Amino acid sequence: MSEPARFVETSGVNDSPNFPLRVVDGLTLPPEYRKALRPGEEWKDATGFPRQLPRYFYEVPSWDSAMKIELASHFLLWEFIQVDVREAPPLRTFPRYVPCAITLLAVCLERFRDAVGTLVHISANGGYRSPSHRFSKNATPHAWGTAANIYRIGDTYLDNRSAIERFSLIARETLPGIWTRPYGAPTGFAEDHLHLDLGYVLSVPRDVKS
Amino acid sequence: MPKKEAPAPAATEIVPRERALREQIEKIEQESGAKAIAVALRDAESGLELHYHGDRWFHAASTIKVPILLGAFAAINRGELLPHSRVHVRNRFLSMVESIPFRVESGRDANSAVHNAIGKMMRVDELAYHMITTSSNLATNLLLGVIGPDAVNQTLKELHVDQGIEIRRGVEDELAFEKGISNMVTADGLLRILVMLSEGKAFSPALSRRMMDILHGQEFNQGIPARLPKGTRVAHKTGEISTVAHDAGVVYLSKRKPYVLVILTEWDPAASGRSRTIAAISHTIYEYLTQGPGDE
Repeated sequence: MSEPARFVETSGVNDSPNFPLRVVDGLTLPPEYRKALRPGEEWKDATGFPRQLPRYFYEVPSWDSAMKIELASHFLLWEFIQVDVREAPPLRTFPRYVPCAITLLAVCLERFRDAVGTLVHISANGGYRSPSHRFSKNATPHAWGTAANIYRIGDTYLDNRSAIERFSLIARETLPGIWTRPYGAPTGFAEDHLHLDLGYVLSVPRDVKS
Repeated sequence: MPKKEAPAPAATEIVPRERALREQIEKIEQESGAKAIAVALRDAESGLELHYHGDRWFHAASTIKVPILLGAFAAINRGELLPHSRVHVRNRFLSMVESIPFRVESGRDANSAVHNAIGKMMRVDELAYHMITTSSNLATNLLLGVIGPDAVNQTLKELHVDQGIEIRRGVEDELAFEKGISNMVTADGLLRILVMLSEGKAFSPALSRRMMDILHGQEFNQGIPARLPKGTRVAHKTGEISTVAHDAGVVYLSKRKPYVLVILTEWDPAASGRSRTIAAISHTIYEYLTQGPGDE
């Protein structure tokens, strides 16, 4: 693509000293990124219902910045963007792109952390992952940046019914509207982590004109 | 048989000695109580090869991790993976039988490093190291989950070392085991892979050397190395379940070229003396190879 990526300037974001990330219109990104991120496209969920993928992303320039940027008091950006070899190759190098709704997830997790009173660990591949990630079979809120797989809370590994159901209940009591995956082995259930998500939330920064 | 050509002088010396070696292995086998023993040997120094039931199939146990190592490095060679590519450590796998989920028991891995990383990521080269040196089953299934059994089998075919190796699944898939779906090897099959590795012919000398370095890190040394002279370096991989005990590796003695040795054994579950038997065969072969003809 000859035209350089056009970045949407959002003064509210860019003026924040603690959150120096630019907002990017995914439709202006180079082809390899558009192919992997599929900004604004429809994607069907497990029931066949079409969902619209995020179009606006924060641009994360480096791992170093991801290690420093706080999304919430106890959550840094890097915790939400750990992906392994199953992620599309362009999205494993920097700059990385993460949907703008990630900040909403971070705020929810912060509240959840307050409720459990200890560290909440997001697993690898368990924060944002793109629709091109090999784990992404159907539209999953992970590709909206609104889902987290939590494998450990404090010293407790969430790998059994008791732990998963206990913390699932706390999440649902603490976060109105949150959805947690029920305990179990079949598809649609989880037995080695707690999955919680806000659904297919699209976040469009207020200065975006499109 | 008067019409038969007279053997070459060297062969007249080797053949009776080789027969003696076979007899010694047979004797160890009879005294051990093992149900079956297979030995394959290739000595780079003398050119000698020995194939004692070399084409008999055995449950591979953890020796299958050598072909899987080859499969992982094939992916590196193709550029699909980098040694430092990261893999999500998750203890959940799907059985070959009806895709029923199963986990690797943490108590069955000698090293807790991989289990301690659950939820995080480890590098491909770290997983390969743990898969071989402490025989981590979790690391093995994670690597196989990334590269896939079919890709490993394809690699073996492309390298012409697929004879005698059957990779059908990950490890600790008990449901598959009960259905008779297991990874299988022959001594000759493993020998071919190890010869290729020791000669630096697996993808490139550099990648072969990296795999050999990993095999040199083996921490279970009760088999082939146990009765070899102190200071002998052995790059090898063991394998043991209730019914088999194996060891396969490359032995580096000082002042001579290495030899590749594979010893596969099958046992009743209650039998003892497995490592002792493998060590005895290894020692017998060591003595045979290092004894000059005049020493007999």
